[in-house]
Amino acid sequence: MQTGLDFTVIWTNITYFFIGRFPHGALGGIALTLYLAVISCILSFIGGLFLGLMGISHNKIIRYLSTAILNIIRGMPLLMVIFWMYFLLPAMMGGNVNESWTVIMALTLFTSAYMSQIVKAGVEGIPRGQTEAALSTGLHPWQAMIYIVLPQGLRNMIPSFVNQFVSMIKDTSLAFIVGVSELTHVATQINNRTIIYPTEIFFFIAVIYFIICYAFTSLSRWLEKRLAWRR
Amino acid sequence: MLKYQFDWSVVTSGKYFEWLLSGLYTTIQLSLVAIVFSFLLGLVIAMMRMSNAKPVRWFAHGYLEFFRNTPLLVQIFFWYFGSYKILPTVINDWLNKTNFEFGAAVIALTIYTSAFIAEDIRSGVRSIPKEQLEAARSSGFSYVRSMQYIILPQAVRITIPPLINQFLNLTKNSSLAMTIGVMELTYQARQVESYTFKGFEAFTAATLVYVVLSIIITLMVTYYDKVVLSPMKAR
Amino acid sequence: MKKFVVVFVAFMFVVGLCSTLVAQDRLDTIKKRGALIAGVKDSTPGFGYVDEKTREIVGYDVDFVKAIANKLGVKLQLKPVTSASRMPQLVEGNIDIIAATMTKTAERAKQIDFSYTYFFTGQKFIVKKGTVKSLADLDGKRIGTAKGSTSEQNAAKALPKATILSFDDYPQALLALQQGKVFAVTTDESILANLLGKAPNKEQYEIPDIQISDEPYGLGIKKGEKGFVDFVNKTLLEMEKSGEAKKIFDKWFGPNSPTPLKRGNFKITADK
Repeated sequence: MQTGLDFTVIWTNITYFFIGRFPHGALGGIALTLYLAVISCILSFIGGLFLGLMGISHNKIIRYLSTAILNIIRGMPLLMVIFWMYFLLPAMMGGNVNESWTVIMALTLFTSAYMSQIVKAGVEGIPRGQTEAALSTGLHPWQAMIYIVLPQGLRNMIPSFVNQFVSMIKDTSLAFIVGVSELTHVATQINNRTIIYPTEIFFFIAVIYFIICYAFTSLSRWLEKRLAWRR
Repeated sequence: MLKYQFDWSVVTSGKYFEWLLSGLYTTIQLSLVAIVFSFLLGLVIAMMRMSNAKPVRWFAHGYLEFFRNTPLLVQIFFWYFGSYKILPTVINDWLNKTNFEFGAAVIALTIYTSAFIAEDIRSGVRSIPKEQLEAARSSGFSYVRSMQYIILPQAVRITIPPLINQFLNLTKNSSLAMTIGVMELTYQARQVESYTFKGFEAFTAATLVYVVLSIIITLMVTYYDKVVLSPMKAR
Repeated sequence: MKKFVVVFVAFMFVVGLCSTLVAQDRLDTIKKRGALIAGVKDSTPGFGYVDEKTREIVGYDVDFVKAIANKLGVKLQLKPVTSASRMPQLVEGNIDIIAATMTKTAERAKQIDFSYTYFFTGQKFIVKKGTVKSLADLDGKRIGTAKGSTSEQNAAKALPKATILSFDDYPQALLALQQGKVFAVTTDESILANLLGKAPNKEQYEIPDIQISDEPYGLGIKKGEKGFVDFVNKTLLEMEKSGEAKKIFDKWFGPNSPTPLKRGNFKITADK
């Protein structure tokens, strides 16, 4: 069965790899991968902020609750979270949930747990004196958090967020399992049709993922240096 | 409309319970094998990454970047379906006689995780003061020996919590092996769903197992952090 | 921590119960939406697969739901499903109808309703030429198939000593066969013939005349949608009468297609 590598299969399907069935059908391929990652990243940032702030709340019950949520989510494989969403979302929404949204919700829930750790660390990295100073000027603790601590903390968190975004891009590959036509799914479709080029196809998409992820990893490192420098 | 009827007996006894149990067994087996290999490989890569020889260092760097920045799922597909073209026929034939889906999952998990482990070890080593290595070298140890006896044992101790987290990730990531037909826990949960249509029960059972496993390990790390590491740092 | 686990499970339980609320007539929903959402395979040559040039999903299954959508006067929207995902998708209301090489079984009929049989085939095997003479040659071997399919369950029954390896879809199983990772691939003859038709070096493989089950395909519809089921059945009978059903068959499996199959005396008729 060894026939040497033949990459023509990539070029004949290159449009499909990049945009899927778009514009005649749904968007797919690399474009969908990026779309899923960007949307879930924004949502999980918000989710992470909530969970993270819950985790440093003075209220014991809230703190307790956030720990519980964190432990459950972080204890589950992402694949399991996707299956749960796949199973529960339509039930909660009364049917007809787009699979892309199933995956976005799963990724959001999953990544929020990790984002919250970043938020927590970022906020805790700001000297307590700052909060105390803010409080002494008569600000409410929440105001101190929103106007004084968070903006500074956020800057420290940026590199970690970018890293999380890279994980997110890699994680979108699991959307394949519920039939969302992102890059990995598109690749298996082409592989299923052409049958004898798995090496070329999977190597090609590995390289594509690598290029995208490496670009963001480098960005994160650059940011880390730059932001640390100014401090 | 269809009413969902709960039937927990599906997952607590009988044939399907046995499926889940055997799935758990495979998950543990797969994870343990991959943990051992990925730790060893991660150690090697970390040392190569810190080597003085430029080509070695560059190779390790490329390895780390490539495998950390590619989805595990794609790597699993690559090893299982794609590797046959780049391997000699003899090896392919031999692999095919074995449980290659299990083997491919071990290879993918090992390589993927080793890249993360190597980075954790490296930052562990960096936290050991440079003078220690210099002192070891000047007292006649070779680079490898001073790493082996002086630096690594300390670094590993510091690295244990992040390492265990990586092992935990690996265990969770092993669920992806279901895509190539390894009958681990997630695979079996799905299998139970498609035979009985009791997805809710099957997923709950599998989720509980994963969560309990992870909570136990997290508690162990916290304990280790408090009891072993903190006094060490305070010293 | 145990407490949280209990709370978590209870929460999931409540959510599960909520799923039993909200009922509406499917036919109205489809018309109001102006689109019929059909779950089809996207990797099964002949039935539902992505055409290389148009990048559209085409096939026998697709043409049937297209005819139903036309009859309803609505657009057709396709959603790729796998053998494992199609029933949950339907039950949860993500799709209106399954047209994905699905065999009618008593077990499945407890969960969903089926239309009249619109395709009829039987389960066989693809093997390397000359390696299999009888079913006994297959027992104890590694057999590839797809997750959540009847093929998987039939094979386990017919070959109790064999190791059944389930992949996400049939082409992956064929790939495993080509690479020597499994000894045989088993599923419905219609799918096997199409897989083989598309495969390179197909001359090395064959489908021996060993059939382990009958496989009547039905379109899947959610339980309790009598109006919709009746409409679909009526449409199927009309398609048979007008010759459209045969035309679709000939388009994909006729003598001039890449994978000729015999329709024999199969006709879409009302189930007894």
